[in-house]
Amino acid sequence: MGTQVKDVIIKPDAPSSLFLDKHADYIAAYGSKKDDYEYTLSEYLRMSGIYWGLTVMDLMGQLPRMNREEIIDFIKSCQHECGGISASIGHDPHLLYTLSAVQILCLYDSVDAIDVDKVVEYVKGLQQEDGSFAGDKWGEIDTRFSFCAVATLALLGKMDKINVDKAVEFVLTCMNFDGGFGCRPGSESHAGQIYCCTGFLSLTGQLHQVNADLLGWWLCERQLPSGGLNGRPEKLPDVCYSWWVLASLKIIGRIHWIDKAKLRTFILACQDEETGGFADRPGDMVDPFHTLFGVAGLSLLGDEQIKPVNPVLCMPEDVLQRIGLQPDLLS
Amino acid sequence: MCLWPSGLPYCWVFFTRKKFLVRVTSHGVLKMAESEEEVDVLVQRVVKDITNAFKRNPNIDEIGVIPCPEARYNRSPIVLVENKLGVESWCVKFLLPYVHNKLLLYRQRKHWLDREALVDITCTLLLLNPDFTTAWNVRKELLQCGVLNPEKDLYLGKLALTKFPKSPETWIHRRWVLQQILRQFSVVGRSRKQQQQQGEAEQADGERSQQLSDHLARTLHQEMKVCSDAACRYPSNYNAWSHRIWVVQHMAKGNFKVFHDELSSMRLWVSMHVSDHSGFHYRQFLLKELITELSQTPASTTTCSPQHQSSTVPSVNPHHHSDTQANGELSGAEAAGEDERQLSLTTVLHLFHQEMELCSDLIQSFPGHETLWSHRRHVFYLWHQWRREHQHRCSNNGSSESVHLNNSDPGLTEVGAQSCAGRGESVNGQRHASEPMEIDRAPLPDPRDSKRLKRGVLLPAPPGLPCEHSFVSSILDRCSNPEQRRFALAYKKWLDTVMGPQP
Repeated sequence: MGTQVKDVIIKPDAPSSLFLDKHADYIAAYGSKKDDYEYTLSEYLRMSGIYWGLTVMDLMGQLPRMNREEIIDFIKSCQHECGGISASIGHDPHLLYTLSAVQILCLYDSVDAIDVDKVVEYVKGLQQEDGSFAGDKWGEIDTRFSFCAVATLALLGKMDKINVDKAVEFVLTCMNFDGGFGCRPGSESHAGQIYCCTGFLSLTGQLHQVNADLLGWWLCERQLPSGGLNGRPEKLPDVCYSWWVLASLKIIGRIHWIDKAKLRTFILACQDEETGGFADRPGDMVDPFHTLFGVAGLSLLGDEQIKPVNPVLCMPEDVLQRIGLQPDLLS
Repeated sequence: MCLWPSGLPYCWVFFTRKKFLVRVTSHGVLKMAESEEEVDVLVQRVVKDITNAFKRNPNIDEIGVIPCPEARYNRSPIVLVENKLGVESWCVKFLLPYVHNKLLLYRQRKHWLDREALVDITCTLLLLNPDFTTAWNVRKELLQCGVLNPEKDLYLGKLALTKFPKSPETWIHRRWVLQQILRQFSVVGRSRKQQQQQGEAEQADGERSQQLSDHLARTLHQEMKVCSDAACRYPSNYNAWSHRIWVVQHMAKGNFKVFHDELSSMRLWVSMHVSDHSGFHYRQFLLKELITELSQTPASTTTCSPQHQSSTVPSVNPHHHSDTQANGELSGAEAAGEDERQLSLTTVLHLFHQEMELCSDLIQSFPGHETLWSHRRHVFYLWHQWRREHQHRCSNNGSSESVHLNNSDPGLTEVGAQSCAGRGESVNGQRHASEPMEIDRAPLPDPRDSKRLKRGVLLPAPPGLPCEHSFVSSILDRCSNPEQRRFALAYKKWLDTVMGPQP
């Protein structure tokens, strides 16, 4: 009985060089063609969508093509009385979009456009007794939100406003026997959660708590024969997981453990030569989310046409240098 | 034939992008719609149709979109066939933006909607786009002021999951609703306790409490069903399985039987889903919880919170230990305690043994599945950890794996195993007169087993490192499947580097 290998086959005619100009055109045009239906469907995550688009434009040196004033005004109108920021106007505030908004404002060097003290109060107010963070006032707990909280505060230089020790304690309770992390204590290891937790431990200066060899092992096992990385065993490879796994490996100093050339081949094969943009897998529909993580992944792999990206915050290194933030990395 | 009451025809197509409205007449001719008010009326009617479909059939169990690019007939795009609710695809493109904008205008206090309209609009909206967080939040508020009841929202979420089984926001909302139910439950539990303390326990209140615990047990059961359905609809569904973990952690805390039943029912499921890493992780979680529970020291066996003790889901706790006196003599009660402790240890060995055996069977029957090898790592790691932590009570005699539960009298309670590579045979094949609780279709040891244990009867135990190495060798010797060989070699490397070098 044969086993169907869960992987993709990269065709010989798949793209093998980087089409940066096409990607910039794709992102620049994305915001302007607001098909009502598609636009409506994704409005609940609009702020993160803008962060993905702007960050990839900045990494490609094309940020000036985007409408800075319009975007900053939009963010201002998404800040709520409680200090939290929502995905779009009329939506409810949430830590996910609060982080995205702060990241965008850092790209534009305009953090003062919003009420920073209120953002800090909002984040602080979401910390629970056990150190975990709720995503919003309704109380859902997830290690993703721990990352959002410390990343937001780190970008604002206000990490001292929360109980960092407790926050670390909670994240460590989500560590598993394989060295990975899940969303809550007892939950399965997942590449996205691992990225959040290693990023969290980097920002809080606690990377020594990670079993880097064990976790590195698990992360390397995500690489499939096609070169692409998946997020868990027996899942298909995906450009966004390629980023999360690669960034985690970079954070824990084990990026040289995977086959970089094969991963690069996989990521390049996920481009659409005609429309620009990256898809999750070769031949699928492109979107801004996978376009950012494709370009950012290539940057981590050392592509010199792209600005260096920071593996913890997924932002251009020059932006973090400007605000004086240098998250720890293991060597 | 017009199936619907008089009024405007349903067969309208709205080209919202160009901001003008077109309708299809019964002859298929496009005509401009007269006004935006008409659109308003039409969309409201579709929303009402959805609401009415739920009134007509409260047992709708699945939703879906019917591919239908154009409105061809003068009938509602909402189709109810038996328990399935369908929306014709042509109408989704205008229905969604309409209800979406209505709700956002309400949220910005630019447009008033009464409670009934809010319930209907959020229902339509969430069935079409269940990750719209703010719409769930509106329902949370409606729930808090009593307009909606928790069951209604669990039901809506369940339906949304039939079409969007991963939807993170739907799972998040479920957890919030379940917490409301749990809170209700604990409030009643507390007030009953107070009354009992004051000697005023009333029968009516007892009944109410009983009803609530029945309700909780039913909710728990339904929740498991929702998780299973979503897990079947989307493989390795992280959100469904992490929700299931949350549910047993919060709704069956310390409830030994629920954990056992879950482990039993999962056995068949994982055997039929050998690639489902999340399903196997859930099994690992259950195993770890059970083993921790069984291995707890006597002082810390307060496993049932008061709210769960009154649950109708029976709480079986087969280990109420008592300490052995310093001089080693056991009173009657203490001897019973000691029996129970030995039973717990036997159960632990039994669980590990069965799990490794299941894993071996599956690896051999379904070669080349990373999930199965990953499961083996996890179970072996748990076993290894447990053995190390209980070294004071167990001594390991090399590969024969003879485990002595009491160092002072090794002959008294010897539990051993000839298990190798998960192929161990149960020496204790005796059946019991009464039916004991089952784990994975195999009976748990009966308390009377401890008497047999005292006579030195051997029970199977899971394998040690040498057995694992010979298991890997046997796979490598026999199997030509390249994936299977790759995973077997990776497991061997993992044993060598993570679990310690081969002796």
